[in-house]
Amino acid sequence: MRSIHPARHVVLRAAGDRLALRLPVRALLIVLVLVVLLLALVAVSLGLGSYGLSVEQVIQTLHGTTLSAMIDNVVWQLRLPRTCVAALAGAMMALSGASLQNVTRNSLADPSLVGVSQGAALAVVTLTVAFPDLGPGWRPWMAFGGSIAVAALIQSLSITRQGVSSVRFILMGIGVAALMSSVTSALMTYGALDRAMSALTWLSGSIGAASWIDVSTLSWWMAVLFPILLVQSRAMAVMRLGEATATGLGAPVRRHNYALISTSVALAAVATSVVGPLGFIGLIAPHAARRLAHAGVGLALVITGLLGAVMVLAADLAGRTLFAPLQIPAGLVTAFVGVPFFVWLLFRSGRSAQT
Amino acid sequence: MTAPVSSTKRFAAWSGVPVLLGVLALFFLLHIAIGAKDLPLRQVVDAIFFPDPSVFEHRIIRDMRLPRAVMAIAVGSALAVAGALMQGVTRNPLAEPGLLGLMAGASFAVVIVSNTAGLAHLAVIPLVAALGALGAAVLVFGIARFAPGGATPLTLTLSGAAVSAFLGTCVSIGHLLNEEGFDDLRVWLTGTLAGRDIAVLYFAAPWLIGSLIVSLGLARQVTALAMGDEVAKGLGVETGRLKLVTLALVVMLTACSVALAGPMGFIGLVIPHAVRLFVGSDYRWIVPYSALLGAAYLLGVDIFARIVIRPQELSTGIITAMIGAPLFIYLVRQRSR
Repeated sequence: MRSIHPARHVVLRAAGDRLALRLPVRALLIVLVLVVLLLALVAVSLGLGSYGLSVEQVIQTLHGTTLSAMIDNVVWQLRLPRTCVAALAGAMMALSGASLQNVTRNSLADPSLVGVSQGAALAVVTLTVAFPDLGPGWRPWMAFGGSIAVAALIQSLSITRQGVSSVRFILMGIGVAALMSSVTSALMTYGALDRAMSALTWLSGSIGAASWIDVSTLSWWMAVLFPILLVQSRAMAVMRLGEATATGLGAPVRRHNYALISTSVALAAVATSVVGPLGFIGLIAPHAARRLAHAGVGLALVITGLLGAVMVLAADLAGRTLFAPLQIPAGLVTAFVGVPFFVWLLFRSGRSAQT
Repeated sequence: MTAPVSSTKRFAAWSGVPVLLGVLALFFLLHIAIGAKDLPLRQVVDAIFFPDPSVFEHRIIRDMRLPRAVMAIAVGSALAVAGALMQGVTRNPLAEPGLLGLMAGASFAVVIVSNTAGLAHLAVIPLVAALGALGAAVLVFGIARFAPGGATPLTLTLSGAAVSAFLGTCVSIGHLLNEEGFDDLRVWLTGTLAGRDIAVLYFAAPWLIGSLIVSLGLARQVTALAMGDEVAKGLGVETGRLKLVTLALVVMLTACSVALAGPMGFIGLVIPHAVRLFVGSDYRWIVPYSALLGAAYLLGVDIFARIVIRPQELSTGIITAMIGAPLFIYLVRQRSR
């Protein structure tokens, strides 16, 4: 499956050759392309909308010149936080999916399918329907609590004598997810309609109400969790080889399992708590990253994160402009586009594996 | 195989049938008797066997409660048999029409057709649902086959979840674009027997009864197939054809039940597993027992759904999921690695 031709690499050396980083050129190029694409999307996303702005206007406003109070308000208070939230949440979901797929060695694992999102959804819907007076400020906390609680439940259910079994983790997750969504729909069906609608908007993964508080929440967590994940990239490289091989190579498989699943859950929980369940980013981004370039785990993680950011940003942009003035939540767009794309990816890789 | 063992076993299996039939009849009568206005069982029996149009209660029973009870029986037995067949043919204890995306496919097709084509004729609804279920089944099995690792229970369940989520998304987008009817559909999409049109039953019944009869006829071959493809071939079963026929049966049974009551999860998981505890792994017993027990189970759940938060009622599908999901979790825990 790996290409036969050796990929070209650049080697960075530091501290008198004691540290060296060997990076494939193609992967670096892809990182560059993705960064440019991300910036372009940010620019477009800041300009497009019901109140259109030209690129120059956007750039000037970002430099700090006040063209008009209206433009300032639109860019700084509405579109920029929304854009940042979309990019950050996308990156987090993508990374969460990457580590979940790595630890389960199953390319169909996605945090939005295995209970984490459903736990968050249940907590938020309970809040919206049962305690409407509490206001939306509580939502992220409830969602975070809900997804962490559910993840802990799934983890404890999937512990066997051999440690946390990753296959069990996924199947348990699906079972718990079904339970959670049945309770959620019970609440939705019998709550008042307007409250149900408000919960429904959140449930479909909407970034519309993003604020700077959300941005700072996401960035803080990202700043903590991404390095944690990068530190584990060596463990991930070993885990890629399979549990038996990893054990044979002397890796503490049980601890790696536990740490990677926890990181993955934390990433998904934070992202979900802010924007609602964003489906399929965690499924597609790692796949696409693998197909784009063969790289070491660390670089692959960077590509995955960037891809996730680009995808959610594009989805949010499409969702709010295509059917304007109607806004399609980004979560729906990602799922709608994502699944056919994913099926295509699978069929292609399946065919190339067979021949 | 010595005679005494098999004959006692056969006796035990046969003796369960009258018990189940009795339970079914009891639940049937109770289901009709319990409601917004509780009626005495005597009156229920009277209304069924000696209807008197001048008595108000008899009209309630015959026009409103009897159809609902009949639908519960139809849906319960169809889903239980569909689940049993899927588990047998795929040799996957976690197979179930809901988990593997067939229900999502059927309800997606029904929602889309009834939203876009306006008044779709009731006669085509089971067929539309069948097309949807078939599409979803092909998609789920396709994804699982091409996924690295092949169609294991894990990849099948995951691709089922993915396809269900995708179809759910499409339905949500449809709702956002066309908000009318949301109030109607959000109840239907949780699976309920309340306020269903009895006319659908007339159109679904031939398919449903036909599929159930064919399933009974195939049960013997399914038993062979459940022991493995090689064994089945050795016993003279045309495995490829059998798999296709079973797929068609499962699709039809699922489609009819979705057309009748919306998606109702986990019945196809709970009932066959419960039945296996009593009758073992012979599908000649599993299929008829599943049909009977599934019918009784859904009647019971529907009674519960109507009395638990009186005067409102809960969606039946929500309760089947609340009972079924823990069983699913239990089954996964049981599977030793």
